[in-house]
Amino acid sequence: MVLVLQILFVSILACLVGLFLIGLSRKVTARIHWRYGPPLSQPFIDIVKWFSQTAVSHGKLFDAGMIFSLTGSVVVVLFLPFGGICPLSGSGGLLVILYLMLIAPLGIALSAGESANPHASIGVSRKMQLAFGYELSLLMILLSLMTYYRTVSIVDIVETQIQAGWSLVQLPLVVSGLAYLLIMPAIMGIRPFEMIQAPQEISSGPMAEYGGKFLAFATLQHAFNIYIGLSLFVNLFMGGGSNAGYFLIKLLLAFMVFQVVHAVWPRFRIEQAVRYLWRWPALLAFIGLIIVWVTTS
Amino acid sequence: MTKKSGKMDRNNIGKWFKSPGNMGQKYSLHALYFCTGCGIIEIPPTITTRWDAERFGVIPVATPRQANLFLITGYVSVKTLRYIIRSYEQMPEPKYTVGFGSCPINGGMYWDSYNTIKHLDKYIPVDGWIAGCMPRPEAVFVAVTHLWTLIDKGMATGYLKYREHYAKYRRNQEKILGELEWPPLFSKEEENEKSREKVAG
Repeated sequence: MVLVLQILFVSILACLVGLFLIGLSRKVTARIHWRYGPPLSQPFIDIVKWFSQTAVSHGKLFDAGMIFSLTGSVVVVLFLPFGGICPLSGSGGLLVILYLMLIAPLGIALSAGESANPHASIGVSRKMQLAFGYELSLLMILLSLMTYYRTVSIVDIVETQIQAGWSLVQLPLVVSGLAYLLIMPAIMGIRPFEMIQAPQEISSGPMAEYGGKFLAFATLQHAFNIYIGLSLFVNLFMGGGSNAGYFLIKLLLAFMVFQVVHAVWPRFRIEQAVRYLWRWPALLAFIGLIIVWVTTS
Repeated sequence: MTKKSGKMDRNNIGKWFKSPGNMGQKYSLHALYFCTGCGIIEIPPTITTRWDAERFGVIPVATPRQANLFLITGYVSVKTLRYIIRSYEQMPEPKYTVGFGSCPINGGMYWDSYNTIKHLDKYIPVDGWIAGCMPRPEAVFVAVTHLWTLIDKGMATGYLKYREHYAKYRRNQEKILGELEWPPLFSKEEENEKSREKVAG
C-alpha cells in the first residue's frame, strides 16, 4: 500500500515539477529577452487546450509509440530517489536506469516514424546521432562514479553524499562533474543542442505530425524528460536531498544554470554538436575516469 | 476595445471549471502564420520583444497540426490558395481563421489582379478580419481580444460552418483551382448535401 502511494506521489509530482519547469523556462527566457512572458501556468493551459481538441492519428504504432514512450519515462522516474523517497530502489540502480532511459526516445521515434513525415524522420535521426554523441561521455562518467563509490545503487550514492558532501566538490570526481555539466544540455535537448526540434528549420522535428492529445502527451513526456535529466544530475553530483523540499530547491538551482545557457545561445548543427561532444566532454570524462581509477586502486 | 470585449479572465478559476475547453482555446492560441504577402513583416515585432504576444498565450508554431489560429497575412494568389486550404484542413478542431490586412477581405490593392483571390471567405471560413494596409501589431492584439469574446459567446464557429457547408466550399475551391488532388475532408457531408439537393431539385 505504501509502495503504491509512493509510486503515485512520485510520478504525479515529477510530472507537475516538469510542467512547472517548462513554464518557468518560458518565463525566464522571456525576461532575459526583455519581454514580459507568459504566465507560469501556460503549460497547464496548453495541456487543457490540447485535450479539448480533435486529433489525427496516423496508425496504431503512432498511438502505441506515444504510450510506450510516456510509460518508459514514468518507470525511469520511479527508479530515481526523490528526496528520501525512491519507490523502486531495490533492484539494479544505475544500470537499470541506463537501459530504461532509452525507451522514451525509442517510443517517440517509433511514433514519429509511423507518421511518414520527412521532417519527423530528420528529427528522429538527429536525436539518435545526438544520443550517440553524449552516451559515450555519460557511460564514462557513470563508470567513474560506480568505481569511486563501489556500488551501482543510486540510493547508496545519495546516502554516501549526504554524509561526505557533494560529489561535484570531491577532488577525484570534479573532472567527471564538469564533463556532466557540459553534456547536460544535450541530455535535456535544450539549446545549444536543440537541433532535434528546431522549429525554424525542420518544423519541430518529431513533433511535426502531433496535434491535439498527442501533443499533450508529447509535452508530458518532455516534462518527465526534463525532470529525469535534472534529477539524475542532482542525485549523482549535488548530493540528492535528505527531504523532498531540499531536493526540489537543488533541482531548481541546477535548472536555472542550464536555463541561462538556453536563453542566450544559438543552435549547433548536428555535426558540430557531435564533434563537440566527442571532443571536450568525452576527453574530460576519460581523464576523470583515469583519475578515479588511479586514486581508488 | 470596449470594456466588455477583451477583458482578461485567465485567472478566473470558476470559469476554468465551468468550461475548460473554451478557456484553454482562449488563452492558448497557437498561431500558424501563412506568410503570403507583406503582412508577414508585422508578425516578427508582434511575437518578439517589442510587443510580445506570448504574454497572452499566442505563440507561433511550425506545423498546422499544432495550430488552432490561422493568420492569413496578406494577398492570396491562386497558387497559394491551394496550400492555404490544405493547411486549414490539417488543423485540429476547434480552429479559428483571421484575415490580416485588406487584401484577403476584398482584394485590396490587387482588386483587379487576374491571379489573386478577392474574397477569402468563399474558400475557407474566416472568423474575423483585421482591416488596414498595413494593420499595426496592436491591431493583432485587438483581433485576439475580439476572438476571445467570440469564443466566449460561442460565435467563433467557422470550423462548424466549414463542416456544415463543406460541399459549397469545395465547389468554390474547385471552380478556381480545377480538380483538387486530395479527397474531400468530410465525404459524408458532401453526399448528404447532394442527396438534399436532389430531393429539392
